[in-house]
Amino acid sequence: MGDVVGPDLISDLPQSIIESILVQLPIREAVRTSILSSKWRYKWASITQLEFDDKCVPFSNDREVVERSVVKFITTVLFLHQGPIHKFQITNWKLQNCPEIDQWILFLSRNNIKELVLELGEGEFFRIPSSLFNCRKLNRLELSRCELDPPHSFKGFLCLRSLNLHQVLISPDAVESLISRCPLLESLSLSYFDHLALTICAPNLKYLYLEGEFKDICLEDTPLLIEISIAMYMTDDIAEHFEQSSNCNFVKFFGGVPNLEKLVGLIYFTKYLSIGIDSVHISITYHNLETIELYQVNFEDTKEILVILHMITSSPNLKELQISGSSNIPVAVDAPDLDFWEKGCFSDSALNKLKIVKLSEMGGWRHEIEFIKYLLGRSPVLETLSIIPCVFDMENNLKMLIELVKCRRASSRAEVIFINE
Amino acid sequence: MSLDMVMTDCGTMPYLRGCFFDIGSRCALSLANVRFHFEFEPYQINPQTDLAVIKPEMMKPYVWLQTSDDSIQQVEQEIAMFCPLICQEIIQKGMGSSKNCAICLPQQVSPAMLSLILDYCRFHQVPGRSNKERKSYDEKFVRIDTERLCELTSAADSLQLKPLVDLTSRALARIIEGKTPEEIRDIFHLPDDLTEEEKLEPLRNITADPRIRLLNRLYAKKRKELKERERSKNSEVEEHVDDRSVDDLLSFINGNDGDPKGVKTSKNKKKNRRKKEQQKNSSLKEVSELNKKEINGHDIRPRSSEAESISETSNLHNAEDDTSNPTPEFDDGYIDDEIDPALKEKLDRWDYFLTEFALLNRSYMNYCMPEEKAVE
Repeated sequence: MGDVVGPDLISDLPQSIIESILVQLPIREAVRTSILSSKWRYKWASITQLEFDDKCVPFSNDREVVERSVVKFITTVLFLHQGPIHKFQITNWKLQNCPEIDQWILFLSRNNIKELVLELGEGEFFRIPSSLFNCRKLNRLELSRCELDPPHSFKGFLCLRSLNLHQVLISPDAVESLISRCPLLESLSLSYFDHLALTICAPNLKYLYLEGEFKDICLEDTPLLIEISIAMYMTDDIAEHFEQSSNCNFVKFFGGVPNLEKLVGLIYFTKYLSIGIDSVHISITYHNLETIELYQVNFEDTKEILVILHMITSSPNLKELQISGSSNIPVAVDAPDLDFWEKGCFSDSALNKLKIVKLSEMGGWRHEIEFIKYLLGRSPVLETLSIIPCVFDMENNLKMLIELVKCRRASSRAEVIFINE
Repeated sequence: MSLDMVMTDCGTMPYLRGCFFDIGSRCALSLANVRFHFEFEPYQINPQTDLAVIKPEMMKPYVWLQTSDDSIQQVEQEIAMFCPLICQEIIQKGMGSSKNCAICLPQQVSPAMLSLILDYCRFHQVPGRSNKERKSYDEKFVRIDTERLCELTSAADSLQLKPLVDLTSRALARIIEGKTPEEIRDIFHLPDDLTEEEKLEPLRNITADPRIRLLNRLYAKKRKELKERERSKNSEVEEHVDDRSVDDLLSFINGNDGDPKGVKTSKNKKKNRRKKEQQKNSSLKEVSELNKKEINGHDIRPRSSEAESISETSNLHNAEDDTSNPTPEFDDGYIDDEIDPALKEKLDRWDYFLTEFALLNRSYMNYCMPEEKAVE
């Protein structure tokens, strides 16, 4: 071209480097590199990861217009692409139920797709075509706002390691059989499911995340679970179901997870576990459990407190504890049952590894204070105990503080931090 | 004294730090084909077992590496082993223990690149650093000029040092992102060797649109012009409008001392040119620099020899002639003082329209995926 210009710096780098550069550009810019020079004309066409988000077409307020341009863009890109596609991701809220998505999935199923993420917009849910179930090499599947209906003959995704279904319409049997037919499944996330009584059989499962209106959760075959996070919402149906239940949920739930390292329970999870707890003697030990986080615990209900105590005392290596109370003001006017704290086998156990405790939404109610006393008195290596009150009422907080100051501490290094802002 | 060396499976542990082995005083031990020479003090002998842990600081073996310019240098083994390729060479092939069997690094690794890569390894192989520290170091590390960044990416890739390849390719992606194609070509010295047609297709169906075909021809001509101008350009390029008519130039060559800035131009021509200039200037606001250069190139001649400018004038005529051919609205042999001013006006406007259209098309092409409907 001219003598001022130096040698081409970049076009002759190996394709793997070009790919890793192009993949880190927004898809639009990656495709645009085709006009840079003759060598670059089709470099973009063999990248193995295609991600389309909200920015891949020009903005417009008219959803239909945007949808049309997104559809056109994706179809053009797929048509011009050559080679395997390992990752295909659409997170575009303007895209809804379009017939072209069927064709894309069919195309991908013929191109060794390994990771598929479809996050579509609100509105009528897109029905996933059967060609998805032919993606033999699928390693990761993430679907949002779709309808999934596996055919009867479906033998499962034999390579699937990660499954994430968010607001997906699928029958309970189908979801259970899908999970059990993916032998390598390591990470499972189900959110916004309704009225599900879920049984999970996943021998390789390590990470479990559930959120929705679950009636019952049964971990039938999950020996390798390391991390669990469950948020259970309540409906009248479920409340009724809880009342009538005669199981001991605690044992049922925790029976099969000996390797558990982290547990997070939200909303009504503690309530769920509290059902049937006072009737059974619990003797499981969780040697690896190091972090427990329970939110929306109702300290008025002694059964829920029992759940916490059982969990803490069954975990000799527990390091971090986070409890959040419910912000309801206690209804009961009778004096709380303080005997509860004196009797019971909990008075003897020590929490030998507990270092960090965070308590939030503390109203200063009797049981909460007793719980704090319990923790302080039995944690010889405690380093910090932070308390965030839920009521910003000076008088109430002062009462709480006075009680706290009286508490005996087993750890000389313990710092009690009261956050009052 | 026989020595037993117990090493964990090195194949899966490229970042080997310390080894367990039985101590003697000065000794050479050989493990398969690997040779290490040490001198160390016996210490920390555990009476229970005959094994002892040797701290990495005590053992500072060096490894010999040969770079692309055939120079050989000595590098701490611990740091060099951070690169999988080097690690492989040492363990599997036993190379690197002396100057004679120095590990021959791939062609992409020059001494400068090796030094950069070793700095990276030296920082990251220290285990105690926080993620924040590492990230901050990485950010600073890639703040080098683009040419070295490309070289570094290539060198890191040849040594199979994936974390560094990821880091540098991310930095290159950041350089490319948000820039126009011209800017990118400029930074990486890419040749602009695609025709307009090739640039548009297959992303846009061009066969249906005669205006695009016309445009392509116009562009091809203009680009050729520019190329020729660039070749004859010297460092003192001044952008100025050459209003001289052909007659003036010829008379200048033939001996008249005309004012080169063109005082004697015919008014008509000057007026029209200026009008064109103005029209074009108004459309230039949204256009990228190269487009501007091209459009201005239509009217602007650098200081060059008179002969060149004459040929350029005639080229310009030809270019404009060309625009007259495909469309029936043009008459033949235009841009001349003798042309009917009304027709000239029409032709000017059409020219303006074409270039506007081209600009819009170009900038549209640059920034988004074109829709199928033609730009009106």
